[in-house]
Amino acid sequence: MAGDTGSLVVDAFQAELGASEPWPDDVVLYQQYQAEQITFPDYANCLSVKTFLYMCGLDFRVEVRTNAEEMSPSGKVPFIHVGAFLVSELDPIIAFVNSRGFQLTAKLADAERSEMRAYMAMIENILVNAELYLITKPRYGCPYPWPLSSILPLRKQSEIQARLASNSWKDKTLSEVCEEVRTCCQALSERLDQQKYFFGDKPTELDALVFGHLFTLLTTSLPEGHFAEIIQQFSNLTAFCKRIDEQYFKQN
Amino acid sequence: MGTVHAKAPEVTPTEDDIRFERIPARVERVIVEGVGRTKDDIIIKEVRPILESSTFQEMVQNSHEVKRRMERLGLFKQIGIFIDTCKDSGGQTGYEVTFEVREFRPVSGGINTLIGNNDASLTRGYSCNFSKPVNANPDILLSGGIYQFHGSYPWSGYKETDRGVELDLTFPSFLGSHSLRWDGVWRDLRALSRTTSFAVREQAGHSLKSSLKHVFVRDRRDDTILPSRGSLIRLTQEYAGIGGNVEFSKQELEVQFNKSLFWDTVVQLSLAGGVMRPLHSKDEVRINDRFFLGGPLTLRGFNMKGVGPHSDGNALGAEAYWLCAAHIYTPLPFRPGKGGFGDLFRTHFFINGGNLGNVNFNNLHGSLRDVGSEFRWACGGGVVLRLGRVARMELNYVVPMAVQQGDGVNPGLQFGIGLSFL
Repeated sequence: MAGDTGSLVVDAFQAELGASEPWPDDVVLYQQYQAEQITFPDYANCLSVKTFLYMCGLDFRVEVRTNAEEMSPSGKVPFIHVGAFLVSELDPIIAFVNSRGFQLTAKLADAERSEMRAYMAMIENILVNAELYLITKPRYGCPYPWPLSSILPLRKQSEIQARLASNSWKDKTLSEVCEEVRTCCQALSERLDQQKYFFGDKPTELDALVFGHLFTLLTTSLPEGHFAEIIQQFSNLTAFCKRIDEQYFKQN
Repeated sequence: MGTVHAKAPEVTPTEDDIRFERIPARVERVIVEGVGRTKDDIIIKEVRPILESSTFQEMVQNSHEVKRRMERLGLFKQIGIFIDTCKDSGGQTGYEVTFEVREFRPVSGGINTLIGNNDASLTRGYSCNFSKPVNANPDILLSGGIYQFHGSYPWSGYKETDRGVELDLTFPSFLGSHSLRWDGVWRDLRALSRTTSFAVREQAGHSLKSSLKHVFVRDRRDDTILPSRGSLIRLTQEYAGIGGNVEFSKQELEVQFNKSLFWDTVVQLSLAGGVMRPLHSKDEVRINDRFFLGGPLTLRGFNMKGVGPHSDGNALGAEAYWLCAAHIYTPLPFRPGKGGFGDLFRTHFFINGGNLGNVNFNNLHGSLRDVGSEFRWACGGGVVLRLGRVARMELNYVVPMAVQQGDGVNPGLQFGIGLSFL
């Protein structure tokens, strides 16, 4: 607990310091090798963070490292290196970027902002767990020599299993998981309706998060992945993914 | 002092005054009790000299010699000798010798916590080892083990967990003692805190080192901590890259020379140096394999690992170093506690210098000149205390004479405790 409090203080301190400085030119985002190494929930997280930064109009460079996960201060990818600061994972990065004066949600009413938070929490709870559920044997160990190439994936897998067990996703059947995903997509599809973004015609961090996860699930071929089929049933969501991909990634 | 008036009693040959070397003895049998796993042929080979004794004295001496040899073999943790007359034998001269032995467990292990070399570094871990003489020769020893330990290295801002397997063969040659060791170790390196320099953080992650190391030692000193004469040569060669993803070769040399002068004064000259290079020129040697320099027992006058490349206060280490030192040791002034506690102390005056830097093998001459020219040196004096037979403690007053920009300098009083020193 002492460590947590310490890091909270550091975070607060960093946020305070950060407010006075502009966005430097040499911001770097660190992640693992996309094709070979990264597990796809991590890939989705990286994609969400990149989308969020593009939406804010902030420049950054992507650096791929085998040891990105171990380098990260929280042990999770992605993390960004801004001046003297290291910030990892989407929520702290959003808070950090906001503290520098770049906000996507400035025009939203308080009620809308809490609605957005609720949707983001839903994605964290359902889509992320569903992605973890599908990981059977990650290719996570391939940059390492034997025997680490087999030990490290096993270790990662037991971590994931422990996390799934802690929120009672471990015992779900595949069809139950698919049902959860369908419910989640249904809710998102209804919220999006025919709008350009979830909250009108300006993007928010919810758009970045949804795009990161849905696009990853749509484009990754999984051994028993029915998730892509489920998402494709919601035409406004696929159109949304396509639109954001073209707008922020094709041009960059 | 009073005077004692007494007369020595007349020495008369009595029955108490037995000439043991004249008493004939014949060892009828040797019994070794408590043997479980130890092979018979080894024991038979060891005890055979006892059977060849012809006098009582010879028998006792041989028994002791056999006990000593068996202790050196490391087979038994306890050996007791009993000598008795042999009941079965007809004559007066028949004896039987009984060894009561307790064998070692086949595998030994340990859990340890160690606060190392005078710094905040902390290692804790556990290990499990076995060792065995080869061909029943106690000088050739094969040992192996598995271990795990956690260490933190605050001067560099990282911590590390090591899990490994090692195999070691120690053998003598006419030059000195050799040790050939294979080490396969999985190292998990992490940044120690959020303030760790990014240059160190970039090194975080898993690495697998499989290395073959040869250590040659020729130690002709009369003591390891406070020698008064003799010399030491230690040559270490390490080749990493037999499997694993850590690839480098490393050479290290340490030489020490001691000479006694008048009034128990000892002059000691030491020199150490090392160089390493990655096997592929585009690679870089990792921080946990590099050399570091500085500290109260090596390069006095500088902070622990305070010399050489640093980033945000974290020592990064380098691929080459050299270090030399000259000491003059004398007993404490006025020699308090002479012959007892006072002999654990020495006063010394020293001058030490060295450098740490990276070597560019494409421009060998230039980088060697840099490592040789921009060196640091310091001089001073203080008190040395010997701790047991393995460690020593020093309290010195040091004046750094040449420092480079970025060095962690410690002028004035400096306190050090540790196992390795120069």
